[in-house]
Amino acid sequence: MLCKIAFGNVRRAGKDYLVYLLTLTLAVTVFYAFNTISVQVDIAGVSAQNSGVGELLGSVISGLTVFLALVMGFLMVYANNFIMKRRKKEFGLYQVLGMGRGQVSAIMALETLFVSGAALVLGLLLGLALSQLMVFFTASLFKTQIADFHFFFSLGAFVTTVGCLVAIFLVTLIFNLRVVGRARIIDLMSASRQNETVKTRNPWISAAVFLVGLAAIIVAYVRLLHDGLPYDGQPEAMSAFLVTTLIVVAGTILFFFGLSGFLLKALQSARGLYWRGLNMVTMRQLAAKVNTVSFSMAVIAMILFLAITSVTTGMSLADTMNNTVERGTPVDYTRCLVYWGSRSVGEMNDNAAYYGNDTRYAVADGPVDMMEAGKNDVMEPGTPDAQPFDLASIAGEWVQVDTFDSTPRGADRPVVTLPELCDAVDMPLPAGTETSDMTTLGLAVMTESNYNEYLRFHGMEPIDLGESGYTITSDMGATVNDVYNKVLAEGVELTIGGRTLKPVQDRVPEDASTFQNAMMGMNSGTIVLPDDLVTALDLPPYYSYLMVNYANGVSTEEGDTYVEAYRTYGDVVNDAGESIAGWGTEATRTYTYESTDTMNGLISYLAIYIGFVLVVACAAILTIQQLSGVADAGANYRILAELGTSTKEISHSVLAQQTVFFLFPLLMGVAHSIVALSVIIELVALFGGLTIEGTVGITGLIFVVGYGGYFFVTYLMSKGMVRDFVRVRASE
Amino acid sequence: MLPVTMTSSPARADLSKLPQTPAQATSAPVLEVRHVEKVYGNRQNVTRALNDISFTVSRGEFVGIMGASGSGKSTLLNCVSTIDAVTSGQVLIDGTDVTRMKSGKLARFRREQLGFIFQDSNLLDTLTARENIALPLTISHVPAREVLRRVDEMAQRLGIREILEKYPYQMSGGQQQRVAAARALVTDPALIMADEPTGALDSKNARLLLESFETMNERLRATVLMVTHDSFAASYTHRVLFIRDGKIFTELRRGGSTRQAFFERIMEVVAMMGGEGSDAL
Repeated sequence: MLCKIAFGNVRRAGKDYLVYLLTLTLAVTVFYAFNTISVQVDIAGVSAQNSGVGELLGSVISGLTVFLALVMGFLMVYANNFIMKRRKKEFGLYQVLGMGRGQVSAIMALETLFVSGAALVLGLLLGLALSQLMVFFTASLFKTQIADFHFFFSLGAFVTTVGCLVAIFLVTLIFNLRVVGRARIIDLMSASRQNETVKTRNPWISAAVFLVGLAAIIVAYVRLLHDGLPYDGQPEAMSAFLVTTLIVVAGTILFFFGLSGFLLKALQSARGLYWRGLNMVTMRQLAAKVNTVSFSMAVIAMILFLAITSVTTGMSLADTMNNTVERGTPVDYTRCLVYWGSRSVGEMNDNAAYYGNDTRYAVADGPVDMMEAGKNDVMEPGTPDAQPFDLASIAGEWVQVDTFDSTPRGADRPVVTLPELCDAVDMPLPAGTETSDMTTLGLAVMTESNYNEYLRFHGMEPIDLGESGYTITSDMGATVNDVYNKVLAEGVELTIGGRTLKPVQDRVPEDASTFQNAMMGMNSGTIVLPDDLVTALDLPPYYSYLMVNYANGVSTEEGDTYVEAYRTYGDVVNDAGESIAGWGTEATRTYTYESTDTMNGLISYLAIYIGFVLVVACAAILTIQQLSGVADAGANYRILAELGTSTKEISHSVLAQQTVFFLFPLLMGVAHSIVALSVIIELVALFGGLTIEGTVGITGLIFVVGYGGYFFVTYLMSKGMVRDFVRVRASE
Repeated sequence: MLPVTMTSSPARADLSKLPQTPAQATSAPVLEVRHVEKVYGNRQNVTRALNDISFTVSRGEFVGIMGASGSGKSTLLNCVSTIDAVTSGQVLIDGTDVTRMKSGKLARFRREQLGFIFQDSNLLDTLTARENIALPLTISHVPAREVLRRVDEMAQRLGIREILEKYPYQMSGGQQQRVAAARALVTDPALIMADEPTGALDSKNARLLLESFETMNERLRATVLMVTHDSFAASYTHRVLFIRDGKIFTELRRGGSTRQAFFERIMEVVAMMGGEGSDAL
């Protein structure tokens, strides 16, 4: 019997439950689809080239899902309150008719169960379909081929999704039972009357609050644009950033608290506009709603800001890596060796002695011949399978580039630094370099002959520095290279080791500045000097790079397989087989490409997932608020109809109100994002140009589909509700 | 529920020149109800809410309609006010047959020719008194200057100027009803319809409101049709129609008698009808 009543209720209150059902279904669909990521990654063939990605992405996503489930849970409670508020009277009536509270609660619980169950089934079906489609999307994100497509079902994703839904169901149920359990019958019966009290604020105060909020936002924008991001973690910068953040949060909240008052005052001053049609009704409805809604509008603006910024930044970073990876992979395989300085060596030897370890570390006198030193490498050392690793066996041509620390032995400052160069051409330090090694350590130094070896290796024309020439290589982004280019173009004279030098090139040779395979620029500035000057300066070795192309008979696959079998390179580089002089890294071109694609896919995936869910959550909250607002204002719309207003005009008024509620948080979020992104671009430009353009499309699509869709549904449903209200009187 | 009707004179433009004597029913009828029938339900279950009702209301008349619950008086008011459609028959307001109008035209007609006052004052809770009164004018796109002038004038006449900036929740029930009356009058409608306007008021406020109605009728020459089941309220009218089972049962005219005498005559009819099992009278 109770079941029958509950089922009937759900059907009758279908419209109210529709929002709830829609949002919950969407939540289930998205949860399931994104949680199948580890399976998708298998099918899309990503894990074949990068085995850890599936699990990594899977665990990150399921962690995120818990967080997003909380957001959704909050949303569901909200959606549910909307339904409950409108049905209090009905629950009161059940009790008046002699039903026990337990029975009423049971009806409530059953209703929630029906809707949740329906959402689960619908959402899983949609999720199942979506996840199949997403495999293709995943494959394109990670740039892989789908080897063997088959229909799949992920038990893990299913369990996570059902778990989240059950949690949401329980929380909703507790809230509902409290409403039914606590309330007295008289309150339930008169609930609809209670809702009608409208609190109003003094519009003058509201308008003032609005202006204060607006001013605070502008102050925060100016501060952020002026200070930039606290990337270097300096306490003062951090606290300044925190203050800016607080100002913008406070400003946003004040803005929305005062918004309706301001609009009201502004429109009232234009009498002809205010006292015309339903304009004043629209404004007053807005003003009445804003008391309850302004805080959530502010929160939504901030969430939209986070969503837009993270999606755009993530997608652009991925784009940047894509664009730079070609230039960043000059050869099949590279090794990079960092030489230790005397202080590190001392500490490491002390440590080794302390632990009774007989490993010895040493400061290298000069660059190590890496090909030669490589002959000491052993695959799987200390095991019965140990065997010598012979890089030369697969190497065709190779070249080694050695760079030196620009602080001469015994000296206390570098011979040339980035700040000096910036001063020389009257440019500010590029954002993000203020406290980096580039500034304190100075530029790296390499010899003319060595650089010419590198150029010849790549089939390029050698350069001639003569007695007193120099040039600068760098594969960083525009902000840094602009400085170097200006230095070279303006022919800035440098005095190094008592010799005055002039540039021999007028811009940085960006195509001949990369010494190792990497996703982004790694050479932050290396000055090329005449050999005799470098010798005379007596500089300690800094980095050595070995660039290898596989021999003619060795395919890329064979070469990659061989070097990947030797995985201990990073641990030791032996100098003449005795002591260790530095620490190394290695990368094949294939590996760099794949990591780029993987990183790319990873970032895009997370950005889209988070962005989409957050946007949907925001839009759903707005929808629910708007629909409950229309329900509350039903009596008013009915009066308007009786006074001879056409349903069309009333719908227009509703549309105008809803446009304000949907548009203003979005505009605010976009404005915040534009300011934040302009600062972020500046910072990220250090590693290569950040291209926002390409990602605007996808970000825009997410918003149009998610946000716009909800707006559209809200309007359609409101229109239906208005039509019902208008009709109610007629049939009485 | 008993409907209350009020009649208003059309010549609202220049109120000051109007005679201060009680309005006399002039020859041209403002409202003509001809053989109206309203049938609800389907073939198995037919309810005849209005059964061949005919009557007229002249310009400047203040007419009351009384009847028990279910007698059809609310249905009658809804049909006259164009909110509900008749099954057959005609309703002419100022010579126009509203039963034939298309819904688009109907909204406009309702806006320009009819004024409504309900039991619950039906003010928009988000608007101030001034804005509530102005609403019918702004909906008709009357210029702002004209809107404000007419609202002020109407507020002055009904003695509600000091509450113009208040919201409905800040007013008493009586004040709300007077604001609603001002809203009904401000467009200078051909006919004002009041549905149990005193239903939610205490006796003091009811009296105040009814006196406002008298003012409207006498000084503003408003034609009023008031549905009520309160004999005291009905005694303020010129003429009372008693409705039973969807038909006009009888009709009382006040003529030259005092309100007190008219009240007693109404009570007699009510007692007589009540004796036959009527509940609301």
